Amino acid sequence: MKISNKQIILDKVINELDRFVIDFTNILKKHTNYVIVSGYVSILFGRTRTTEDIDLLVPKMNLVDFKKLYQDILSNNFWCINAENPEVIYNDYLNKDIAVRFARKDAAVPNMEFKLIRTIVDKTSLKESIEVKIGKNILKISPLEMQIAFKKKILGAPKDMEDARHLEKLFKDSLNMKKLKKYEQMLR
Amino acid sequence: MIFDKKKNQKERFEFIDFWVEYMKTHEDKEWSRQQAIIINSVLKRTK
Repeated sequence: MKISNKQIILDKVINELDRFVIDFTNILKKHTNYVIVSGYVSILFGRTRTTEDIDLLVPKMNLVDFKKLYQDILSNNFWCINAENPEVIYNDYLNKDIAVRFARKDAAVPNMEFKLIRTIVDKTSLKESIEVKIGKNILKISPLEMQIAFKKKILGAPKDMEDARHLEKLFKDSLNMKKLKKYEQMLR
Repeated sequence: MIFDKKKNQKERFEFIDFWVEYMKTHEDKEWSRQQAIIINSVLKRTK
């Protein structure tokens, strides 16, 4: 693992969860910016657990652009668990701040929990996101300091505290403590 | 006491510390190979 300011290079064996995330974000990045947050970030960096969903934040987009993205998602063998009609997905879910889930066809898990960016925390996660390079693939994730602060201050379940500890210990020498404090204050 | 939550949490934290140390002292390919066994086996059961 090589760590620099805005990029981490991982020379890892790609597991099925990583493959799922890489395949989905390869479609997504043709249409929009994005940032991955929460549990998968810890798993990407070696936590010995899995998850049923990967949390994904996407900047606000209009219906026309969403329809183009949705068509591309469908044509790459994913489906939306919540609804079929893109207008329903857009108007009844995303525009009302409700996440929708995309899985591979013929499966329900794992799935991408797809949500439009709303809050200052979401916006900061995207704006200050970092890249993780795995071979030729690049994933955009929320800053590690934000992950740690969010898991400890907001979520707080045993699983979240363990994820936070994993990241804290693994990146002990590279975490920006000023940033961590800033995010902790933001989350109060 | 049937189940000691605090003791359990302490033991889980201890394993996390061990695993992070293991990751730091082994190549990415080695720790991720082991992680992939766990993740792939769980996902296989959902198919």
